[in-house]
Amino acid sequence: MNQTPGRRRDWMQWGFVGPALLLLVAMNVFPLIYSILLSFTNADLVGGEWKFIGGLNYTFVFKFAKYGQALRTSALFVFSAVAIELFVGFALALALADRFRGKTLVLTALLVPMMLPQAVIALFWKLVLNGNYGILNQVLGGLGLGQPQWITDPDLKLMSIVLIDVWMWTPFMMLISLAALNAIPGYIYEAAAIDRASRWRVFRRITLPMCAPLLGLAVLLRATDALKQFDLVMAITGPNDPATQTLSALLYQAVFRDGKVGLGTAYSYVVLVLVIALASVFLRYMDSLQAEDEQVAR
Amino acid sequence: MMRWTKALLATAIVTQGAFAQEKSITIWWAQWDPAVALQELGDEFADETGIAVEVQQIPWPSYQDQVFLNFGNKQTDFDIVIGDSQWIGRGATKGLYLELTDWLPTAIDMSSIHPRAARYLCEYPPGSSKFFAAPCETDAIGFVYRKDWFEDADEKAAFKAKYGRDLMAPETWEEFRDIAEFFQRPAERRYGCSLLTGRGYDSIVMGFQPFLWSWGGSWGDQQTFEVQGHLNSAGAVAGLEFFKGLMPFTPEGGTNADYYFNLEAFSNGSTAMVLDYFPFYPGIVTSMGEQVDFFKVPSHDGRRFISLGGQGFSISKKTTPEKQALAKQFIAWFSQTKIQEQWITYPGSFTANTELLSSEAFAAASPYNTTFAESLDHLRDFWNVPVYNELMAAAVRHLGAALDGTVASVDALNALAEEHEMIMMEAGLLEVE
Repeated sequence: MNQTPGRRRDWMQWGFVGPALLLLVAMNVFPLIYSILLSFTNADLVGGEWKFIGGLNYTFVFKFAKYGQALRTSALFVFSAVAIELFVGFALALALADRFRGKTLVLTALLVPMMLPQAVIALFWKLVLNGNYGILNQVLGGLGLGQPQWITDPDLKLMSIVLIDVWMWTPFMMLISLAALNAIPGYIYEAAAIDRASRWRVFRRITLPMCAPLLGLAVLLRATDALKQFDLVMAITGPNDPATQTLSALLYQAVFRDGKVGLGTAYSYVVLVLVIALASVFLRYMDSLQAEDEQVAR
Repeated sequence: MMRWTKALLATAIVTQGAFAQEKSITIWWAQWDPAVALQELGDEFADETGIAVEVQQIPWPSYQDQVFLNFGNKQTDFDIVIGDSQWIGRGATKGLYLELTDWLPTAIDMSSIHPRAARYLCEYPPGSSKFFAAPCETDAIGFVYRKDWFEDADEKAAFKAKYGRDLMAPETWEEFRDIAEFFQRPAERRYGCSLLTGRGYDSIVMGFQPFLWSWGGSWGDQQTFEVQGHLNSAGAVAGLEFFKGLMPFTPEGGTNADYYFNLEAFSNGSTAMVLDYFPFYPGIVTSMGEQVDFFKVPSHDGRRFISLGGQGFSISKKTTPEKQALAKQFIAWFSQTKIQEQWITYPGSFTANTELLSSEAFAAASPYNTTFAESLDHLRDFWNVPVYNELMAAAVRHLGAALDGTVASVDALNALAEEHEMIMMEAGLLEVE
């Protein structure tokens, strides 16, 4: 019995798509469904018998204060780090937008922190910020200033981690901002100059709105990345410090130290729902910005 | 003929290699002096029996994580793990540690083991006579102090003038406080004391426990697992307040001082009295010699309690029966008195053998051994239930907040007691209300 050409084409299509699809199901879909299942069990990392315990894990997530606290810490970290990075990165991009001698060298130097592994950076900064023998306090001591305990003082710990993140990721914001600035057509500025628009007005009415979509994208990328902050926290204060315990650090503590796979996955799903909700709001805002842009263009 | 001889020889070599590989055991332990000593003894064991012993050392900060991640496999990479005392409940109830109840008393004279070591390092539940580990490194916290400062004539006179008594190693926490206050001179970069307050693993818990117990509090009822009224009792709050009251006499960063911070604080010559586990002291003795001496954790109102440390040999349930048999052979060999006599001669290696602990040879082996032996009768431990790590993590967070001054002591202990009870309920140890 011969197969019709259409049917053969179907098989061929499936033959091409099939392996990738199988891989996707095995690596993404199955773990997703399996982890939803796990969130309703008392599964332990080290194995052994586990059983379904209904929604008890979700009850504990809402009952234990530490889960809410980690969410607040992460939100504070994301907001402060990304806001500073955006502001400083955009300012740097404005300063570097024009051509000048040695621009390539300055740009390359500024991009170095972003290219280093986070764990290495964390260990390096841990040495710099050490309260007793860190170079920063040595310098402050030399100037007759105080000796802040950057990585042990509860009021300074999170700020120190934010500053390291800023040091590392501001170049990323600068890079995207530079791309956005370079994409603005020169004739718009020429028209503004003919209209004798002030520098502030040009910035407010042309530069900022035209950079906004790309900046928004950069914020989204950085925010999702910062939300996963783990390396710096792990290396500098450890995963169990309430002042710096981010979502990822708490998940590590719950799953890999306490062995509570069920509880950990339940918490992940609560966070996932929250993040999806927030991302949707942000994306809608971005869409509205783009729609406004298109309207202006028309 | 020559070809046949070569083939036979090659087969013999390969077979011998295979046998040698089969007759070996792997031990996982933390990276420190006693592990080096254990490897040396392991080599002796290999010479005697032909069973190779490899001691793999893992840095302390990641030791626990790596061990339990490895236990998640079908077969562990180690045959013996030298696990912290608190791990035993998890190891025993989750099918990780081989039960040694029938075997251990046949291999070791249990009456020769210090009862506190047997209770906390080997049994689960404590006092049940069900064994899941054999004693390896018995340990306790104790103080090292600057003997040269204490013996300085000017310092002695100044101290007597201020406090009306002689400057000497303190017996009580109240005396300790005065001495710490006396030596606290930040302008001269000289500090009174450094206690255990670190947030990384368990150091703040080990540092707080002597205050908790000596002031009449406890972690909870060991039978019913109730925590309220024990951990947040008036005594426990007073103990935490006293502990917190010592923080002004510590170096900068002293409210977050782990084992390594304290070693550094003492080694750099800035701090008068430092608390740490005894196996960390050999380096200090080598580098500072006659300048230092040791004293046991002070008492309060006649009550002296000391945080237990140390680890026992546990055999992995996730290794082959043959390897388990070899592991038992090694443990039995190591526990012999003649090997224990050798063990205590290595830096930082401590025995649980009562006969040796009271021997002159042990006392003479190092300047801290007498203090160590005297400390053993006062040992107590943290919870060793399967959820010990969650309990520990919660304790680190709440005690840390109290020391940092972000929460009042009473509120910190109330919150901690509540969280501990929730963890106990979640683990099924305490009935859900």
